[in-house]
Amino acid sequence: MEPSIFQGFQVALEFGNFLVLFIGVTLGILIGALPGLTATMGVALLLPFTIGAQMSAAASMSMLIGIYIGAIFGGSIPAVLIRTPGTPASAATLMDGFPMCQAGNAGEALGLVTFGSFCGGMISCAIMIFLSPVISHFAERFSYAEYFALAVFGLSMIASISGGNVLKGMISGIFGLLLATVGFDPVSGVPRYTFGMPGLLDGVSFIPALIGLFAFSQVFMDISILTQGKFEQPALKNMIPRIGGMLKHWFLIVRTALMGTFVGSLPGAGCDIAAFIGLNEAKRSSRHPEKFGTGIPEGILGPEACKSGATGGAMIPMLTLGIPGDAVTAIMLGALTIQGLQPGPLLFKDHLDVVYPFFASMILANIVMIFVGFVSAKYIAKIVSIDKKILLPVICVLSVIGAYAMRQSLFDVAVAIVMGVVGFAMRKWDYPAAPIVLALILGPMAESNLRRALLLPDASVMMFFTRPITAVLLLFAIGTVIFGLRSSMKSGTAVSDAR
Amino acid sequence: MNRKNAVWAIGFALLLAGCTADNTPFPSKPITVIVPWAAGGGTDGIARALAKEASDVFGVMWTVNNKTGGMGVSGHDFGARARADGYTLTLITYELCTYKALGRANLGPDDFKAIVQINEDPGAITVQADSPWNTLQDMINHAKENPKAVKVGNSGPGSVWHIGAAMLEKEAGVEFTHVPHDGAAPAVVQLLGGHIDAVAVSPAEVRQHVEVGRLKILGIMSKERMADFAEVPTVVEQGVNVVHGTWRGLAAPKHTPDEIVATLEEGCKKVYDSPAFQEAAKQAYLGLQYRNASDFQEFLKQQEIAATEMVSDNG
Repeated sequence: MEPSIFQGFQVALEFGNFLVLFIGVTLGILIGALPGLTATMGVALLLPFTIGAQMSAAASMSMLIGIYIGAIFGGSIPAVLIRTPGTPASAATLMDGFPMCQAGNAGEALGLVTFGSFCGGMISCAIMIFLSPVISHFAERFSYAEYFALAVFGLSMIASISGGNVLKGMISGIFGLLLATVGFDPVSGVPRYTFGMPGLLDGVSFIPALIGLFAFSQVFMDISILTQGKFEQPALKNMIPRIGGMLKHWFLIVRTALMGTFVGSLPGAGCDIAAFIGLNEAKRSSRHPEKFGTGIPEGILGPEACKSGATGGAMIPMLTLGIPGDAVTAIMLGALTIQGLQPGPLLFKDHLDVVYPFFASMILANIVMIFVGFVSAKYIAKIVSIDKKILLPVICVLSVIGAYAMRQSLFDVAVAIVMGVVGFAMRKWDYPAAPIVLALILGPMAESNLRRALLLPDASVMMFFTRPITAVLLLFAIGTVIFGLRSSMKSGTAVSDAR
Repeated sequence: MNRKNAVWAIGFALLLAGCTADNTPFPSKPITVIVPWAAGGGTDGIARALAKEASDVFGVMWTVNNKTGGMGVSGHDFGARARADGYTLTLITYELCTYKALGRANLGPDDFKAIVQINEDPGAITVQADSPWNTLQDMINHAKENPKAVKVGNSGPGSVWHIGAAMLEKEAGVEFTHVPHDGAAPAVVQLLGGHIDAVAVSPAEVRQHVEVGRLKILGIMSKERMADFAEVPTVVEQGVNVVHGTWRGLAAPKHTPDEIVATLEEGCKKVYDSPAFQEAAKQAYLGLQYRNASDFQEFLKQQEIAATEMVSDNG
């Protein structure tokens, strides 16, 4: 039979393949929801299993795709419910998700996460299926200067995600950038600021730092509130999400999903960067930017659609060039190689029988995800009503495991605890944590690409003006800073009026 | 991590049982292979292919444990410090020979006892298909006339391909601009986009782009021409005396008893020769190269000397 997308669905819907896909998505949601267990780790853990079970290429890809899609979505569940992002990509979602949940609308928040994530995933699938060659051709035009400009654009968002106080946001951002300089120098390879500790050679481990900044700091915060006896259990209402209200924001969803797809298609930029870009876009285009951070739907839909958009995007360079778009696709690439398939330009020519089921599995995984997400939202939302005296120790244990699991290193557990104390102090004095996350993701990207660009024999400062993509991205960055300052002044006055 | 704990647990159990292990023939319990690189990569792939066949040959389970970080330092370090009883082995890679020279860790081939080498991939100097250079000499001539103008991408500072390009530079008496990347794949993307002039990576990493006519290989740093790229001359044929590549092999901690290493060597030779292993390597486009324990140990020593020389020349 001539390979077509229908044949792809036929293969992907075969009982065995669909079963492992379903298991993959469900397992992925669980993995994503546990702090420290990321999509990358889930796929890396399950890869040996797919080999051991002697799965066919289609089945093993179904499973790994399921894990990927499930985990990227699942990471937002604890972000919304307990202010702990399960995966780095969910750090943007919690800024509006958690306040919404605290207001008692846990079910609605989860519904928004599920719906935003689903739309982003589906739109990016469509782009991946129809426009892969075009996107990958455009992505090839990104060189060092462009990557640097993209990172600067990302960092400029610190101005808009600092929640009213840009100065404090910048202080945390700069602290994050300083942390990001720890580890191997990207150009000379010399270890920096490691103080002879091998655990710091790769820099301050990102996942443990994230666990500390969010999970531990929240635990410490809750304990301090509990011991003062002031704690109020958030109420539970609006358990069933309403789709009608979400469709109102369809244009935002489409825009952010497209942005996410493109960001995902750049090797080295993935879901985490996309999520912040999505949040930034939602805020920029909003008529009431000052309400962000108080728990509004756009603050969840924007980052969710953009981050899930990046999943389809990350597949594009893998399928067209044989080059991974992020850490997860790097492992999938290995999985395909083990199956005797080399992703790349030849795959589209010789192995459409693999490519189409791959596409079909991506679509099905998103459908399974929205199904599982909506069905389980009602039950999962009840986590917020668990007594804190029981919930906090559980979060602590899971966080320690999560920090340890990444590299099986106790050093990383120490990193998480230290960052937890830092995060707690920051919250006490009202410094936002999101800028640190952004700086830890983008700092290395900005530094290494600027330095590579300057290494080149034809380097000059003019490259920031004469290279069109670089210039546009830097303009975006300037615009974002101005916008961020203006809206923070506005919300600043709003607060003082209220007083 | 559970597997590792299980291995430890069994280890301690045996110890507590009054050291009965002394009399049991080796191997009598699962063997762990430490892989210093991430799951899904080339090193991981060959380790898993090896472990699968070795489980049959040795009659005990071989498991792979990825211990990543610090550009391979974490895994190599863990493997070197493991109990020297032959039950924790390490899949060592080229980088092990560079750690001391680069000041990354006080760790080298001396910390291990070689068992077998199983793979070797030469460097391939690759340019865009429409590049004006058709031979390595064209590229070198251009570099001679325009010092530092030729931008050569590699897979990381001090990486195997950075050192390879530096060797070429030194032997040909020219100067390149080296651009380090975060792995070979991003370097290839930059070459495809025309942002750099050449890359030095392994042939497998550019093979598909060569086949579809977007890139071409000017020279390969192997002793003899490669079967898959028979039409591409070696770098030596083109008058530049450089033979350089990356390799992978199995090693045990340095105090491992010789008779255990001998048993492992004998069994691993069988694994290497098995059709399943050969096929798995071929599928992943990994070059096959066997060296026995003593040859491999000698080779490791030379590699470390060569790498140290290269790094100290380049600062």
